[in-house]
Amino acid sequence: MSATWLLARRGLARNRVRLLVSVGGVALALSLTLALDAIYAGVANQLTTYIDRSGADVWVSQPGVRNLHMVASWLPDSVIGQVRAVDGVAEAAPILYSTDTITAGDESTVAYVIGTRADAPMGGPSEVVDGSGRVGPGEVIIDRGFARKAGVTLGDVVTVLGGEAVIVGLSEGTASLVNSVAFVSFDDFREMRAGAPVVSFVLVRTAEGASPDGVAAGIERLVAGVTAQSRATFAAGERRLVTDMSAEIISIMDVIGFVVGLAVVALTVYIATLARRREYGVLKALGARNRVLYRIVLAQAVLSVALGFIAGLAFTGLLAFLVARTDLNLELAITAASLVKVGLLAAVIAGLAAILPIRQVAELDPAIVFRRGVVT
Amino acid sequence: MTTLTLEVREATKRFGEGDAAVTAVRGVSLAVESGEVVLIMGPSGSGKTTLLSMMGALLKPTKGSIHLDGIDISALSEGRLPEIRLRKFGFVFQDFNLLSALSVLENVAIVAELAGLNGRAARNKATALLTDLGLGERLDFLPEKLSGGEKQRVAIARALINDPALILADEPTANLDSRIGHEIMRLLRRIAREQGRSVVIVSHDQRIRDIADRVLWLEDGAFRDSRSVGRQSMFRNPGDRENEMHETATTVVDPVCGMTVEPETAIVVVHAGAPYYFCEIACAETFSDGPERWLVRQDPDPLEHSH
Repeated sequence: MSATWLLARRGLARNRVRLLVSVGGVALALSLTLALDAIYAGVANQLTTYIDRSGADVWVSQPGVRNLHMVASWLPDSVIGQVRAVDGVAEAAPILYSTDTITAGDESTVAYVIGTRADAPMGGPSEVVDGSGRVGPGEVIIDRGFARKAGVTLGDVVTVLGGEAVIVGLSEGTASLVNSVAFVSFDDFREMRAGAPVVSFVLVRTAEGASPDGVAAGIERLVAGVTAQSRATFAAGERRLVTDMSAEIISIMDVIGFVVGLAVVALTVYIATLARRREYGVLKALGARNRVLYRIVLAQAVLSVALGFIAGLAFTGLLAFLVARTDLNLELAITAASLVKVGLLAAVIAGLAAILPIRQVAELDPAIVFRRGVVT
Repeated sequence: MTTLTLEVREATKRFGEGDAAVTAVRGVSLAVESGEVVLIMGPSGSGKTTLLSMMGALLKPTKGSIHLDGIDISALSEGRLPEIRLRKFGFVFQDFNLLSALSVLENVAIVAELAGLNGRAARNKATALLTDLGLGERLDFLPEKLSGGEKQRVAIARALINDPALILADEPTANLDSRIGHEIMRLLRRIAREQGRSVVIVSHDQRIRDIADRVLWLEDGAFRDSRSVGRQSMFRNPGDRENEMHETATTVVDPVCGMTVEPETAIVVVHAGAPYYFCEIACAETFSDGPERWLVRQDPDPLEHSH
């Protein structure tokens, strides 16, 4: 270990309370940002779970519709056949979609309601943990979390799309912090919507070896009045919606985390430097160049922030672990992008926090060593 | 280590401006030769430490200059001084000034690392030096676990690690008891004698004056008197001491180790009808084992005898 790191590490470890305050403060500050990022990333993941697991490689929608959340998409039935005729399309299945409120007793939840045919090759629930995965007339599959919360189970009745339906299946991976997904029969859905010969989306499974983006482009070229996107693009549009909606909140929390972290580290490194002023003077008197002392101060700031970052990450990880074991429909997803962002934030904090102490050391008179004082 | 001459030429140091200006050192001149031990004494506030700071390139004189091997170090830029402090000078302080977070070994090795030695080499060199100074069993101790004398020996090891030609010591015995203070002074003298390093000591401790080749008296920022005490004084018959010890008629010289001691508190051995005074029992016993050796020989180094 170099002299710089040795002095920095020992200097920090010498006062454990101060180190704990410093690391704890940074951890808390960075946790704010990490946790919020993780929450939004988790929500985005949950929101796209249905899209990701739908089995479709390409989503065909009303022109201009590029995501599910808070949109309506209506296409004439005739589109289904036109899509099937496009080169590279192996299968095409329609779904009906609407955002609605499902009510069970006193409990209700906002849900994406999907109308799907019982024999549809895609678009149904991907993971049914209890009951049937196929919905017939007058039946519904709802999210298990909501069922548990509402106190209903298989055979009970819920209100959906203005009518009543019997629960025949309970699914998982179909709930998020803001909504859940419920499945009703295609015919019921159409009937509840006055029997109009329309579909919301046409889901496409591509032929083996065909590129989803290429097939989507072919559909848009050959079928008039549709927007076609690969699943990845469609899901990205859904995620972007969450990101756009949360960008300001995340930015505010980033700033708060940055300011708190900076204040804590700057203060503790400054105090640590002040407390060891004489020792820095000794090093200067013994021949240490200023740049060596700067490196020690900077290393202390970097060490404090790095430890804080690790502690913050551990704390957020623990939070994610614990939250996943509660009834909350919440997932904390710590993403690489978030780690990079918070890591950069931490690096800036360390750099800025070292400025004042470095100035303090720069101005230090080495002759301080001859002034009488108590040092070891 | 290179031979070195440090020369202070008409150095003046003034602090503050106008009516508030204080002149700590006034036109002081001094030359220190290789292997010489110079003791600068004087009352508090006489400018001793300011002079030592200037000699160590920690302060620049307001007037005059400091020359090291012919180079005017007082005219060098701040950027060049760390290298000189690191390689040419070794500092020993009254408060020891060890880095409290580092072990004994690390305190010494780090200065070698600052001079460019890699970590392993620095530790090896520091280990050898500390072992030589009797601290081989204390390498991993923190300074707070050491006695005052041990701390000062660590400080001396740190001062020596880069092989400087000049040791500058500020009140090195002030925080030590009499016996340990003597040990430290003997160590500094041994370093000067055996290794040919110059040692400049600032102190008001009368007991250590006989260690020095030269004693300078600084008062109000200027030298008032300069006496070459000379090593011959250390081994004179007790009867001669009263004449020898001009200013300190109440002290005498321990013929074994050369320390100045006060007869009232010293250990007394009577030989051939005359009293001899010793700083400690070990010196008295050494003397009793062969008094003639200490009365006849003029130039044995008392450090060959260890307490």
